[in-house]
Amino acid sequence: MTAVPRTALTSMLLRSFSAQGSWNYRTLIGCGFAFSLLPVLRVIYRDDPTRFDAAVRRHAELFNSHPYVTPLALGAVTVLEGVEDPAVIERFKQGVRGSLGSLGDRLIWAGWRPVCLLAAVLAILLGAAWSVAVIGFLLLYNMGHVFVRVWSLRVGLTYGKRVGERLRSAPVERLQHMLQTAGAFLLGVLLPLIATGRLTHTNLGWPWIAAAAVAGLLGVLYGARVRVPVTFAMAAVVLLGIMIGIGR
Amino acid sequence: MNWLVLALAGGFVGLDSTSFPQAMISRPLVAATLGGLIFGDPVTGAMLGVILEVLTFVVLPVGAARYPESGTAAAAAAAALVHTGASWADTPLLLMAALFALGWERVAGLTVVLGRKVNERFVADIPAATSAERAVVRAHMLALGFDWLRGAACVLVGALAGSLLLRLFGPLLQLDTNTAGGVIAVAATALAGAGLSLFGGWRERRVTFGIGILCGLLLILAA
Repeated sequence: MTAVPRTALTSMLLRSFSAQGSWNYRTLIGCGFAFSLLPVLRVIYRDDPTRFDAAVRRHAELFNSHPYVTPLALGAVTVLEGVEDPAVIERFKQGVRGSLGSLGDRLIWAGWRPVCLLAAVLAILLGAAWSVAVIGFLLLYNMGHVFVRVWSLRVGLTYGKRVGERLRSAPVERLQHMLQTAGAFLLGVLLPLIATGRLTHTNLGWPWIAAAAVAGLLGVLYGARVRVPVTFAMAAVVLLGIMIGIGR
Repeated sequence: MNWLVLALAGGFVGLDSTSFPQAMISRPLVAATLGGLIFGDPVTGAMLGVILEVLTFVVLPVGAARYPESGTAAAAAAAALVHTGASWADTPLLLMAALFALGWERVAGLTVVLGRKVNERFVADIPAATSAERAVVRAHMLALGFDWLRGAACVLVGALAGSLLLRLFGPLLQLDTNTAGGVIAVAATALAGAGLSLFGGWRERRVTFGIGILCGLLLILAA
């Protein structure tokens, strides 16, 4: 591996926060990946502008990953670039593309983020000040967010081509299980509070609470499919209310 | 002046949802609080944000899937609600604002698709460019700039449209506080229940979920 100064690695890490900035249906995050990698490529190919240009072009091609674990691929490519054949690097990127996407989706989008959000919503419903809940959420969530990015870069730099082995030995499943358990518990705590009108500080009667309980059960049974019918039902009630108002 | 600040902040909310830095400023809870704060009432913004957060909780932005953009819509709806002079205690208007956000997030979602198609044009220049480095930086910066403008436009136009709708139809809405609160509670409970699918669903998590419900009931009884 070419010795890459810390400043170039830090610059790459910071640029990785915008890796999805040029997301498109043709190369997905390819352009953002190349943009993030530029500081490192400039160091590796400082004496060879032709290879530098070719490397930038290669990395601007199709690539995808969960944004928070993109530094893992960036770190691994830093190790491989200038040492391995470009075809090997391309195969490596193709190989990790799917797993990096699913890793982030499982741990962050369906784990860490909803757990932090539920904690913030619960805090507000239990009487916490909006500033405490909102700022607390942003701080807590982003501590995890930045940690994942830094950890990913370190793993990529340490293991290079072998990041797959490292990921297999990482306690991903256990962590996912813990986050899902915490999420299900927090969701359970929230449900009765929401059903009894805490979101609007309304003292609801039993018919409303019973209706909310049935709706909650339907939500549990049918998942995200209930979202559109629920929106239409809300719209129907509001439209009816407006029509009554117009009629008066 | 408030509208200008709203547009500037809206641009960052739009950027945050996908492009940069995904720090969750674009979550409805945060974005709506921000929208309310700009017009002087963060509490109303936060209350609308909590409702929208629960209504949006189950939406997962995975891969290239098309999904509604809830952040810019939440900021727009909160700004519109506060701009009309309503507070969080005005439950029927809170319901209308939440419904407006659920509609506007679809429009904002379409602009995300448009932005991605525009980005395709930006990156199309890279293979033929004389300097790949310059072409990559140019394409990336143009895309970020476009996304900022898109976010600003979504929030600004959304807030203006929302404000107009709330002023026009708000006084006509014949719903008492209890009914509006009940509708919100029923809708939010359904979508909160749907959120269990994120954590493995009923079969996997029924025990933990059940213990959570018991704890929630105890909290209500203790209050």
